[in-house]
Amino acid sequence: MTLSYSQGAAMPVMALDRILLMANQIGDFFAPYPPERRAEGIRNHLRTYWDPRMRDELLQYIDAGGAALAPHVVAGAKLLQDESHAKPGYYGPPKA
Amino acid sequence: MPNPIKPEKSVITTCAYCGVGCGFKAETRGEKIVRMIPWKEGKANHGHSCIKGRFAYDYYNAPDRVLTPLIRSSINDPWKSVSWQEAFDYAASEFKRIQAKFGVKSIGAVSSSRCTNEEIFLTQKLARAVLGNNNIDNCARICHSPTQFGLTNTIGAGAASQHFDSILQADVIMVVGANPTEGHPVFGSMMKRRIREGAKLIVIDPRKTETVESAHCKADVHLAIRPGTNVAILDSIAHVIVREKLYNEAFVRARCEVKEFENWMALVGDDKYAPELIGPIANVDPADIRKVARMYAGGPNSTIYYGLGVTEHSQGSTGVMCLGNLGLSCGMLGREGVGVNPLRGQGNVQGGSCLGSWPHVFSGYRFVTDYATRSSFEAEWGVTLDAEPGLRLPNMLDAAVAGSFKGMYIMGEDPVQSDPNQHHVIAAMKSMECVVLHDLFLNETSKYAHVFFPGSSSLEKDGTFTNAERRVSRVRKVIEPLAGLQDWEITVKFMNAMGYNVSYSNPGEVLDEIARLSPNYSGMSFALIDRIGSAQWPCNVDAPEGTEVLHREKFPRANGLGTFMLTEYVPTSERTSDRYPFLLTTGRILTQYNVGTQTRRTPNSLWHPEDLLEINEQDAVACGVRDGDWVKMSSKFGQIELRARISERVNPGIVYTTFHHAKSKANAVTSDLSDWATNCPEYKVTAVDVVRINAPTEDASLDAERLEPAE
Amino acid sequence: MWHEVRGLKDEVDFGTPPRDGPPVTLEIDGVMITVPAGSSVMLAATKADRAIPKLCATDMLEAFGSCRVCLVEIEGRNGFPASCTTPVVEGMKVKTRSETLKRLRKGVLGLYLSDFPQSEIPDGWSEFHETLKAEGITSHPYGEAGANHFDAKVDDSNPYFLFDPTKCIVCSRCVRACAEVQGTFAITIDGRGFESKVVASQDQPFLQSECVSCGACVQACPSHALVEKSLFEGEYKNA
Repeated sequence: MTLSYSQGAAMPVMALDRILLMANQIGDFFAPYPPERRAEGIRNHLRTYWDPRMRDELLQYIDAGGAALAPHVVAGAKLLQDESHAKPGYYGPPKA
Repeated sequence: MPNPIKPEKSVITTCAYCGVGCGFKAETRGEKIVRMIPWKEGKANHGHSCIKGRFAYDYYNAPDRVLTPLIRSSINDPWKSVSWQEAFDYAASEFKRIQAKFGVKSIGAVSSSRCTNEEIFLTQKLARAVLGNNNIDNCARICHSPTQFGLTNTIGAGAASQHFDSILQADVIMVVGANPTEGHPVFGSMMKRRIREGAKLIVIDPRKTETVESAHCKADVHLAIRPGTNVAILDSIAHVIVREKLYNEAFVRARCEVKEFENWMALVGDDKYAPELIGPIANVDPADIRKVARMYAGGPNSTIYYGLGVTEHSQGSTGVMCLGNLGLSCGMLGREGVGVNPLRGQGNVQGGSCLGSWPHVFSGYRFVTDYATRSSFEAEWGVTLDAEPGLRLPNMLDAAVAGSFKGMYIMGEDPVQSDPNQHHVIAAMKSMECVVLHDLFLNETSKYAHVFFPGSSSLEKDGTFTNAERRVSRVRKVIEPLAGLQDWEITVKFMNAMGYNVSYSNPGEVLDEIARLSPNYSGMSFALIDRIGSAQWPCNVDAPEGTEVLHREKFPRANGLGTFMLTEYVPTSERTSDRYPFLLTTGRILTQYNVGTQTRRTPNSLWHPEDLLEINEQDAVACGVRDGDWVKMSSKFGQIELRARISERVNPGIVYTTFHHAKSKANAVTSDLSDWATNCPEYKVTAVDVVRINAPTEDASLDAERLEPAE
Repeated sequence: MWHEVRGLKDEVDFGTPPRDGPPVTLEIDGVMITVPAGSSVMLAATKADRAIPKLCATDMLEAFGSCRVCLVEIEGRNGFPASCTTPVVEGMKVKTRSETLKRLRKGVLGLYLSDFPQSEIPDGWSEFHETLKAEGITSHPYGEAGANHFDAKVDDSNPYFLFDPTKCIVCSRCVRACAEVQGTFAITIDGRGFESKVVASQDQPFLQSECVSCGACVQACPSHALVEKSLFEGEYKNA
């Protein structure tokens, strides 16, 4: 049995303000970590728990300026585009 | 009075109400259940029971039980009774039509913690293998998803570290955001037994609950915190533990990541978390914060039990991490009498968590993004599986409102009543083209459904439940399913109608499949449970009869060490204002169960015929509200009408209600904020205004007038 | 520590809570039996398959020693101690059956029977009824003229269970279940001697009392004085 993964009509998966609110909340949690771990933590969280369409919507917003996002959220989300940060088998919180 | 008539037969089964999961002997005469007697060998209840499991079982026989499948093409049409096959075929054709038009990811499924492990597992199989996406969630999303996240990230397992009996060896019992004597009564009785034997009790809860003070049982300290300040108060307790060096250094050095411990000490040890600064924020006496820290750290055996008062916050996951951090820092893990333990609201919340009804993990909490795990499921199921996480339940609703999500299979849930921000949920429901609801009764959600599968109650089916102490017990069929099919059969037949060929001769075969695919359940089988009564996971080759206490030698993390998370307090953005001067928090009462689908159909409503708004006398006077007056409570999300009860249980500035009755629509006012990590809704904090009204509008009065007054 | 709850068995009532002390061996009716220290003679006898008749004892509650049905003879001791409140001792020799014990039990059970509705004896199946049957008690010598509680009113206020004081033997099992098992302390014994009666809260109907309807008292009741309405047909079913 094979399944097709067509995405259907190109529309935002959900309202952008929800996406931004959630992303900034994640940023708030990781704020006390040092910069590198903070970015990695945000990246891993988005990678592990967010539907790819939600991530795409966030990244498109960042590409368009990302003004409503905390700078460290932008930094973390951008790691999603960088394959070198893809660690197979580990998607959890930042490690020491 | 004549003598009672003796029952003829009995079947041992497991109660489907709360997460205690009591064993019962269901006694029958003919095809009728005539009595439920608590099973003395039930390892969760040891022969004890509460009003719900013992007496409130007759809902299965309620006159409005739906006994035939229903379909309709529009929610404005009346329902049409059809055969099972017609209903399956109609739902399948609609789902296929929607996927062809809007894409594979435009539909999803939701299971419930009232379902058995086998049903929950089959529902995720339906989503992943048949619908072809990971849009699968379950109602633990809106209660204990932060538990899974917060505990996994500290102690490695998102589950209770202890068995219930462990409390009989506890010296200090800390209850945070839970009310066991009402919500988990049989466990509450065991807790009270231990307190009467001399254990100390700490309660952290905005409300003076029954747990705080009852006959021969009184909290040594009650921190009646302002709703939404859990993380602040727990960090402040940690602050005292760090500054006064009350932590267990030997345990931390042997069992934890020391570097992370040091980072954590630096954070919580900061002056900003001093009780003298946090006390005013949380509205508690700083001396009491110090007292709690010393009492907890002093043990010798201190244990934490917590509930939705911790999880249902925008910092729910952070709050759970705080508890994990506390347990690790004081060495209160890995033996009897200690631990960090979630009290689960519904009978099978733990099972719901374990069995893969999540958009990001398969059964056993293994990521869908992990190739090896995914391959094992692909091999067993014979399909290619989606490698990306799907939408969570609140995301599905958001996506429905946005127009990208069009259909849903809902098993045993009533999201319109139980999910927050009701207007938003209704908008989402209305925008979908096919909602398939699988339940016992028509409910608030069925108003927006297109297909209704009449399900079976837990008395009418076979399977297993996993209770709050990870105990897997058998649910056994006591009577034949009233609508003809057991729930697991309904899901399998729907999968077949969708074109996926699979069959099981009984749910024991589903459990066998779970065992093959889930390491913690690898030793589970009907045969094992029938032999030893019940077994706590992990149950595998190393622990063939299960595991009572977790973390004895190491934590289930890659390096075997517990770790500390940095739990900075971030105040919720939901706060009081001139317009909405009160904070609403919600809770439960003994006699009713969640949205009341079952208990409202029993005489239990004699004790709780309507939801009331508890308000402090000082506030009541200021608002001109007298006991029993109707009030209108409004938030920026909506408004409801209910009667007020003046109560010393809540502090000034705080109001409280239960959410058991559909008519009171408590969730029409609750906020749309949610936990940062899991989207678990922030039910426990909503800014509201309360205004006295002369009489309820017609809609709100209907239910109340039919019923007796509360007192 | 938790043997009291974990050692319970579905089909057996040991009479007193199981314990987990070091082993103690004693002799019951010539049978050698080893049980944990802290166990009662009643529990040891049950394990030795020499179950002793009882009314106020049940293994989910601590021993109380009020019904005087479980008396035994112990070698070297005076009198007839209640087996429920007597802990086992190494080498103890217990006799659970004798002509004297039979006479004593018959006397006590006859007294209980004299204040129990006679029409409800034949088809009853409660623990009290089974005990009468097992001891062969079918009548009592006290006549019908004495004081009794036959006119007491049934409390049917609770939707799930009835309390019929005419069938109450005032064994206190309900009182103790509410306190020890449930922890609510809603039930008490009001009055003294013949006037003693089981009451909820301040002598209120169950529904209006502090009772939380957990069912522990109903389960503990040995005489169907507290009984589930669902077991009836007709008028008492939905009373």
